[in-house]
Amino acid sequence: MYILFVEDEAKIASFVQAGLKEQGFVVDYCDNGDQADQQALEQDYDVIVLDIMVPGKDGLAILKHLRRSGRNTPVILLTARNELDDRLEGLNLGADDYITKPFFVEELVARIHAVVRRSVGDRQNLLTVGALTLDRITREVSAHGQTVELTTREFNLLEYLMRSPGRVLTRTQILEHVWGYDFNPSTNVVDVCIQRIRKKIDLADNSSWIESVRGVGYLFRKTETGV
Amino acid sequence: MNLRSFRLRIALLSTILAGTALIGFSGVAWRLIYGAKVSRLDSRLENQIRRMARPLPPTLQPSIADDLQRNLDAESTDSVAWQVLDADGKPLQQSDHWLAEFDPPAVPPFQREQRSLTPLTPRRDRPFERRRPPPNLSSHSVTRRTDQGNWRIAAASTPQGQVAIAVSLQTITQEMGAIRNIFLIAIPGTLLVVAIGAWVLSGSALHPIRQLTAVMQKLTVTGLDQRVALGQTDVEFAELIQVFNQMLERLERSFMQASRFSADAAHELKTPLAILQGELELTLQQAAPGSALQQSLSSLLDEVRRLSGIVRKLLLLSLADAGQMGVHRVQLDLSEMLVVMVEDLELVAPHLTVQTEIDHELNVWGDRDLLNQVLQNLMSNAIKYNLPDGWIRIEARQKSASVQITITNASQPMSPEERDRLFDRFYRGDPARTRTIEGIGLGLSLSREIVLAHGGNLAIAQPSGDYTTFTLILPIHLLH
Repeated sequence: MYILFVEDEAKIASFVQAGLKEQGFVVDYCDNGDQADQQALEQDYDVIVLDIMVPGKDGLAILKHLRRSGRNTPVILLTARNELDDRLEGLNLGADDYITKPFFVEELVARIHAVVRRSVGDRQNLLTVGALTLDRITREVSAHGQTVELTTREFNLLEYLMRSPGRVLTRTQILEHVWGYDFNPSTNVVDVCIQRIRKKIDLADNSSWIESVRGVGYLFRKTETGV
Repeated sequence: MNLRSFRLRIALLSTILAGTALIGFSGVAWRLIYGAKVSRLDSRLENQIRRMARPLPPTLQPSIADDLQRNLDAESTDSVAWQVLDADGKPLQQSDHWLAEFDPPAVPPFQREQRSLTPLTPRRDRPFERRRPPPNLSSHSVTRRTDQGNWRIAAASTPQGQVAIAVSLQTITQEMGAIRNIFLIAIPGTLLVVAIGAWVLSGSALHPIRQLTAVMQKLTVTGLDQRVALGQTDVEFAELIQVFNQMLERLERSFMQASRFSADAAHELKTPLAILQGELELTLQQAAPGSALQQSLSSLLDEVRRLSGIVRKLLLLSLADAGQMGVHRVQLDLSEMLVVMVEDLELVAPHLTVQTEIDHELNVWGDRDLLNQVLQNLMSNAIKYNLPDGWIRIEARQKSASVQITITNASQPMSPEERDRLFDRFYRGDPARTRTIEGIGLGLSLSREIVLAHGGNLAIAQPSGDYTTFTLILPIHLLH
């Protein structure tokens, strides 16, 4: 997937680029607004990740220009200052999503997938790992040919894990993705939810799809057969 | 009676002042009138004494009383008495009811005036004149109190001895009584008029202040950036308004400074936090799964998230303070959000009994992220401050143009002070009880700001037992 990443803070740019590349994205990086504006129109990106506060043309102006030129490239805004106002304006200007600093790259990746899916339609609605299939549109899950009933949270959690098999996701990352920023009774909720999902999708004799990583979180097991 | 009321005090003071003045004046007037009446009586008495200065033939004696009564305007012949003494002070003649108590005042012996010594020759043109003009004598008067009321007794020395006339003061007393009655009616009447007048007047004098108060109240509610307009205000109040405006300005400035400070601080913290979090995340992925390094990176990451959460809340609060909390309104199904959260409750707190009564399709126009945060905050509070094996009750229903959500949970009884401070920033309840509970005490105050920005309200109900109820009201329609 081809991504334009616009951000002026070098250190942030560095880990985001590293994270995105690690997950198989091709990233064009740009640290000023004027250049980004030009590039956004010249190239055909799958997604543009735009920091609002960049030197030269700011993120919102780039977005505005892009939409006026009739381009529907999905745009995710990165916000920091006065996040709400920026977010508001950005969404009104036609941004597809926004993410506030500080953020998890893992979360940014999830958002990128989500906006791309929305823009291209149903093409990627099926997520299959081994004998486990998850349909993002109908929100149905089947394991070993059996349809499994999952709650909203369980479905979102499973989808998040299944999207990147083999990657460790911390409890906090999961919590934030599935429940939101401020759900703070305890991260215990993740463990309970994982237990329930395991009961629903795992075969009794088989080892679990979802592996616990002690003291860290969980990962979705890569299957030998591959995807 | 509330004596702290300026208006009441003014009215009262005016009445007291007017009353004192009126009573003083009437006292003086009363005395003056009395004095005038008595001195007129005295001069009449003197005239009568003069007439009686010469010895009267006994034949005339019975008519003296009638004479006196007529000339002194006395009520009856019983109201007058007279006495003539000889040079030795022995009574020569006196009326029947002359009382010993009358005791005429001592008068100096008669002094013959030079003029009255000239021999009186009968005048030819008035041959029948019976009397010579009365001698020029002056009388002394005194008031005596007797069993029959007050009497005025006048006495004067005559060439023959002394003449004294007593007249009852009953008539004058009656007249003075009438005047006193007039005063007794007029003074309270006047005072009543003064009191009402002062009340009305002070009320109208305070009217501009009341107006000003109303304007100021509106200002402090709507925002510190506004000022009271001077307009057509009276000179006396213009100064007050100016002082108030200056105070508002100072307040606004320091408020803005404080608000900008936390906004700036939060913003400045965001970039390093973002870098920290991103680098940690990256390194965590590279570490061997389950290794000690990954575990410690994970716990570091949790702490960074906690910091970020605080920074985010502070920023939101400072935006709310500055009245700049932007609300991205979309149509939201609150019922759905609540149902999902109730599912969470069962995951997080299986030990609690959960009762729900959530109507279907409670739609509002609101900010999904922000309202989600509010509901999550209320839910997590309901869990955190619950009793062991307690309960939670969630009700949501539409009430005319708004949706009302009440979240009730079993809790320790809360003191009114605690309740009042619940929405204060960084307030976390009684430390003895909440030490082990996670949180920083920003959630509720932020929730309230968010709800207010939506045109709704978030309040804690008067707990009357071992439970706490939060009531969240959100308008269904856009308020613009």
